[in-house]
Amino acid sequence: MTIQMFEKPLGMRDDFPFIAKKKAELRANGTSIIQQAGYDLLQTPTLEYYETIGKISAIADNALFKLLDSQGETLVLRPDMTSPIARIAASKLLKEKMPVRLGYYSNVFRAQKREGGRPAEFEQMGVELIGDDSLYADAEVIILAWNVLKNLDIKSSRFVIGHTQLLQLILKDFGLDQEQIEKVHSTFVSKNSVGFESLAKQLPIEPSRWESFIGLMSTSTVEEWQQWIDPHNAKQNSLFEDMKKLKKILDRSGLADSVTYDLSFNSHMTYYTGLVFEVYGAGNGFPLGNGGRYDGLMKQFGLQVGATGFGLRVDRLLEIISAVPEEEDHTLILFDEQNEDRAFDQAQELREQGARVTLQFAPAVLAVDKFSGLFSNVLRLEGAN
Amino acid sequence: MDALTIAMPKGRIFEEAYELLVKAGYDLPKELDDSRKLIVEAPNENIRFILSKPMDVPAYVEHGVADIGIAGKDVMLEHDRDVYELLDLGISRCYIATAGMPDTPMNEVTPRVATKYPKVASQYYRGKGEQVEIIELNGSIELAPMIGLADRIVDIVSTGKTLKENGLVEYEKIVDITSRLIANPVSYRLKQKRITELVEKLRKQASV
Repeated sequence: MTIQMFEKPLGMRDDFPFIAKKKAELRANGTSIIQQAGYDLLQTPTLEYYETIGKISAIADNALFKLLDSQGETLVLRPDMTSPIARIAASKLLKEKMPVRLGYYSNVFRAQKREGGRPAEFEQMGVELIGDDSLYADAEVIILAWNVLKNLDIKSSRFVIGHTQLLQLILKDFGLDQEQIEKVHSTFVSKNSVGFESLAKQLPIEPSRWESFIGLMSTSTVEEWQQWIDPHNAKQNSLFEDMKKLKKILDRSGLADSVTYDLSFNSHMTYYTGLVFEVYGAGNGFPLGNGGRYDGLMKQFGLQVGATGFGLRVDRLLEIISAVPEEEDHTLILFDEQNEDRAFDQAQELREQGARVTLQFAPAVLAVDKFSGLFSNVLRLEGAN
Repeated sequence: MDALTIAMPKGRIFEEAYELLVKAGYDLPKELDDSRKLIVEAPNENIRFILSKPMDVPAYVEHGVADIGIAGKDVMLEHDRDVYELLDLGISRCYIATAGMPDTPMNEVTPRVATKYPKVASQYYRGKGEQVEIIELNGSIELAPMIGLADRIVDIVSTGKTLKENGLVEYEKIVDITSRLIANPVSYRLKQKRITELVEKLRKQASV
């Protein structure tokens, strides 16, 4: 393969000034909401060991960027933020301060297999609430994600909520073993109704419960979930009660019309152990972000605590909010040698007043008219006047 | 009522699917004689059809420029896009199979397979533990074994007529194919009511 001069590695992008500016605004805006909610921002290394973060991250192996360090250890470019933050939380530093609330705005790397041009490096903004296994923690992160979106002026965002553990218990009630449950899970993850129904025909489902089993795929309210809850199963009941309480909290917080409770909703990220959710917005065909409870991930770092969080894809948020580049005041001062001191003084003065000023030595500009056209005001300090 | 954009494959599947929608009670324009049109509006239902190459339907749906679409399972197996597969429409029934000249074993030194479905073909032969060379062609696949480009082809078979006319025989069936109703995951959530309604209406009409 010959590489052309302007080429970048597959999936890597330049952020032009307009995008970079939008991103900076988005970052300031989003992280301020996150900090207001009591979260501390942090940063983790770009490179991690493959053996630890690489394996724990639940990102497919062939999506990891791998390289070797000088000792011959395999490293990965950080593929997600949740696992490094879990590692930090599990380390001595924060263990005594549980529950901890940590937020981040970071780039992550995932190699793309399909089509050129899809981003292999993108920014994520999110939070992790570690050390609290109550439903209030789940409610908190969902409401926070909602607030971040609202603040970015993303209208009509929609959350879809499922519950991995409850679904697991219900599938067990249908007499399925672990292998069968996993097969069902994978049709749920891709919402493959056709695959689910044809799989169901091969499963040992009692004919009288067939309709009920097929119905698992099409719920949208918590009340509908009730039909699968076994009243004698204490665990199921307590999880279901939690879901009802969660719904009440979300309704009270203004999300009543923005949430779908889909029992079959599930994530391909295998570390989620309880509530899972994904969020969508009009104007982008891909999910804006996702989150959920991942107690199992903490266990891998030797800590038996609950943890929950969310991550939003900055590139996808950007696609929705940056439809029109805004006009902004930007003054150009063109000067020549004769007016040098006057120009410097004036620029300084305007900048002190808060204006954005570009100071340019006029003879160095090739096409004065075109160049001037890039600015909202132009001051020409040239010649004797 | 949310506006709905439906990506449809041009040609035979479009006609069958269109008929299915009309039978399901959708008030669609009767005349569609201008076959070069790429966008067809059905204002009474607030539906817009976009007509694309069958192979491209999942791409439109994955990116959300079409909320839902109708795509052959063959295309979905080959392209593996992130879309929800909501319903088997039971139309355009056919299957993918291997075929070749009668009574010819695979070449032992360099077994070659010509196909429009390189991914499906390579998965199939890898699954059987056979190492073959895949040659991607875009049409008239039957030509390959006739002139000695490949020992086998992997292609769609609906009636078997084309194979017969060219003196080829079918060897193994790989997978059954029908047209599926697919949805963009975001549209599915944002326009859930309209899409589930459509699925229910079509389910009653679909012949499966």
